Amino acid sequence: MDPNEVEFLGEKQLVSIVPNFNFDMIHLISGSIGPFRAGLPVKIPIWLAINLKQQHKCRIIGQEWMDVEDLKNIKEEEKKSKVFTKMPSNHYMDEVHMLLGAASDDIPNADEIRTAVKDIWDIRMSKLRTSINAFLKSEGTHAKLDHLTAMEINNVRPLLPHALDQMVRLQQIGQASATADSREESQNMSSI
Amino acid sequence: MEEVDEVVEENAEFLEESDEDGGVTAQSVLQDIENAWLNEKFAPEILPHQSDAVECMLQQISHMEDNMKSLGKGSMKSLIHQMEINRIRFIISSYLRCRLEKIEQYAMHILTEEAQRGREDGYLSSDELRFAKDYLSSIELLFRTLALQHMPNVLQKFEIETMTVKPNIHAHVFLRANKRITGIIVPGTVDEEVDFEEGSQHIVQYSAVADLVKNGDIQLI
Repeated sequence: MDPNEVEFLGEKQLVSIVPNFNFDMIHLISGSIGPFRAGLPVKIPIWLAINLKQQHKCRIIGQEWMDVEDLKNIKEEEKKSKVFTKMPSNHYMDEVHMLLGAASDDIPNADEIRTAVKDIWDIRMSKLRTSINAFLKSEGTHAKLDHLTAMEINNVRPLLPHALDQMVRLQQIGQASATADSREESQNMSSI
Repeated sequence: MEEVDEVVEENAEFLEESDEDGGVTAQSVLQDIENAWLNEKFAPEILPHQSDAVECMLQQISHMEDNMKSLGKGSMKSLIHQMEINRIRFIISSYLRCRLEKIEQYAMHILTEEAQRGREDGYLSSDELRFAKDYLSSIELLFRTLALQHMPNVLQKFEIETMTVKPNIHAHVFLRANKRITGIIVPGTVDEEVDFEEGSQHIVQYSAVADLVKNGDIQLI
């Protein structure tokens, strides 16, 4: 899947904004939003928030977890833990990318948030690569991937499933030739 | 403007009434389509079609567009509705395109499988079935006019069996369990039995979970 499509899915998440206009409730197919009151925070999907921001119609507050201290704690947790810790959002990477890309002037400490999230991402990806390596060497057939987020899964998609597919293929060939060998042997035996 | 809202609500009510289980809203139909889209994208084989949901959503969209005409172009409200419609259109067309790609790739295999299924529980919608048949006959015509007719008599047969491409159902997929599922057999050198907790994520061979994807217990991710 294209990373843009993962982002597309992430754009459904809600984010708080402060509009600078008044408007009644809007009934979208995916659910109702509003009413909008100038100066009062309201939750709307990210795709709409970014659009309104581009039209200078709102200020994006950002997600609750977009806090430098919180993110640093998450980073330490992630470093200490052997398994993957639970992320505040299934789309944390893409949300940061989208929201900070569109509204870095609204969200305080945008640069620090970006660095912290990038660090978390790097730690997790290297952990993921190590565990994939171990998993493939152990010749496992299935694995649990709890707490991996959408973008992370998409990132290993070209590699991991493909590698496993090839291993299955090799195994099948191995089995087929093994049975062929044993059949040959038994034939030889009977001929003796 | 209120008219639009009313119509949307009416639509939602209409949807709710049309389903006896209740609780079916435009919102949940949209979610179903999105799930079907992801499943179709990641499953190696073609899945049962969801044309009911697609039809329903397209109807919803055209209702919405009719009502937007009365809003006048350029008003904020119509722009927002238009944006949402474009997003939904993208999902639907990506979903349908994905199915067409699979039909082209596995045309013969899909048609053979489809012939064994009843009219009611076929995996293809009637349009898709027609497309698959047309596609196959075009391929056959192409082979005949281009090559087969110039071959010696014994080689002139168009052998469907030898040309069939089958999807690799042993391909590995990422998935999320929608509910607790026990006793899934994962094939391997030694068959292994695993349980999935609700909401947990895994990677396994598609063949082990194919039925669970089709009945909605498992979502591919």
